[in-house]
Amino acid sequence: MSKDTSVARHNIKLTGFLAITLPKISLAVGIVFLVLGLFVSRNNLHHFSYSYLTSFIFYLVCSLGALFFVIIQHLTRAGWSVLLRRVAEVLMSNLWVLAIMFIPVLFALPHLYHWTLAEAAQDHILKGKSGYLNIPFFVIRSVIFFAAWLLISRLFFKKSVDQDLSGDHSITLSLQKAATWAVAVFAITQTFAYVDWVMSLTPHWYSTVFGVYFFAVSAVASLSMLSLILMILRRFGFLKDLVNVEHFHDLGKFLYGFNIFWTYIAFSQYFLIWYSNIPEETAFFHQHFAGSWNTTAILLTIGHFVIPFITFMSRHARRNLKFHCGMVIWMLVMTYLDIFWVIMPNVLPSGFHLGFSDIASFLGLGGIFVWAFFTKLKSVNLIPVQDPRLHESINFHNT
Amino acid sequence: MQPFGYLAEFNTPRELIHAASVMRDAGYTKFDAHSPFPIHGMDDAMGLKPSILGWIVLCGGSIGLTTGIVLQWWVSTTAYPLVISGKPLFSYQAFVPVTFELMVLFSAFAAVFGMFAINGLPRWYHSLFNNESFAKATSHGFFISVEAKDPLFNTEITRSVLENAGGHNVSLVEE
Repeated sequence: MSKDTSVARHNIKLTGFLAITLPKISLAVGIVFLVLGLFVSRNNLHHFSYSYLTSFIFYLVCSLGALFFVIIQHLTRAGWSVLLRRVAEVLMSNLWVLAIMFIPVLFALPHLYHWTLAEAAQDHILKGKSGYLNIPFFVIRSVIFFAAWLLISRLFFKKSVDQDLSGDHSITLSLQKAATWAVAVFAITQTFAYVDWVMSLTPHWYSTVFGVYFFAVSAVASLSMLSLILMILRRFGFLKDLVNVEHFHDLGKFLYGFNIFWTYIAFSQYFLIWYSNIPEETAFFHQHFAGSWNTTAILLTIGHFVIPFITFMSRHARRNLKFHCGMVIWMLVMTYLDIFWVIMPNVLPSGFHLGFSDIASFLGLGGIFVWAFFTKLKSVNLIPVQDPRLHESINFHNT
Repeated sequence: MQPFGYLAEFNTPRELIHAASVMRDAGYTKFDAHSPFPIHGMDDAMGLKPSILGWIVLCGGSIGLTTGIVLQWWVSTTAYPLVISGKPLFSYQAFVPVTFELMVLFSAFAAVFGMFAINGLPRWYHSLFNNESFAKATSHGFFISVEAKDPLFNTEITRSVLENAGGHNVSLVEE
């Protein structure tokens, strides 16, 4: 129990502005912007549904990536990350909010997915795909995805919080066992979810690497988000002596690696399609390189890959917390731009345009996301105080 | 005859780390720690500066990258221009895999040979092998060696520093 007393003197309960005022403000901002966005776009719900989907996917990748992070820490029996795990657990617990946010998407199906329209029956290719791409099956699949994610995230969250009270070490072992099937379920459900919700926006087109592509997006987004949240917590005086530069250094390495993975997957997808030059595959890039979308793609190459690759390579850059903070914010912006580039050309064929409906959806969903996050974080300890590997994480040093 | 330096034996990795930090704090620079396995925290304890190997690898990688692009550009547009599946002669997309591989290859060469160069390898002879107990460093021995070239080296003082740091069997090694 000596461990317990050593962390007891730290601030491990969220209080003050982050616990009380911020959730209220963000909930208000969220509701106001959603209503305002809906009101301003009332004559163009078609466009608004795409903006909404873009922001929804942005927050979804953050939470799903956090789910992956938690599973993988248990699976690998990681010691360094124990201090960071609770924040990631709360981030993944936001999946219930995303499940509710998904309901409006179901109502906007005819706006978003043209395979749901009556004309699809005349389309030779879509007729062939109708066994998979039909509304009832789509809804059933969506329910299955969220059910699986909520089940896994609740299991990992609840057991981890239970351990805070009981200190039962067998919980760690049981979660390690659960992580094995959880990671398989996660891999399959998230692949199909991105195929359904994003790839089927262009239903004639297909890419076998699409699920992996969005997995890379989610890993980058969630690690950036995790780093940013920890920076904010430290800024407000929480975990200041516990989470230190060593942990940020490792998060930075993780982020750097997954960012190169993103580049690798994104380029592979483009490269193979470019090489084989088959019309039904190139259609996607024809659409996504039109007008200023081409500039957007170049900007993504430079901003999402080249700049972080060069500037974030050095350990000094990762250990410089100010630079690190700037980099993770930059990566989140780039992630949004990436999702924007994948989704929005369907409604803006001529080129990039960031409208009020995009900003309103981003702030609207973001406000609710932040509210749910801090409300949950306030109710639990900021670190898993009774985890058997907590000590390892506190004394963690990069060599 | 000029000796190579002192060799002191320690019982555990913990003692070795402690002794290394004592040597560092005493101001010695030309000393080394020997152990059968890597010990976390030894760099700090010995006061080692970060290796320059990373910069060598960066140079190697950059040369590989440039070579890859220039080679393919020259071959496809000048030396042997061929139109392949109607694509432009300079198709940078097609050049990426080879460029990437050459970058990796040159980086790996730079890392391996740079490491050899910095370590001073290959080397056929080292004075420490004159001490028979030093063979234990590959199985269960922990040693610190101090070279006579160190400006602070002194047969009397250095011996007492090593002994005070917990070293036993402190012996002079011949050149």
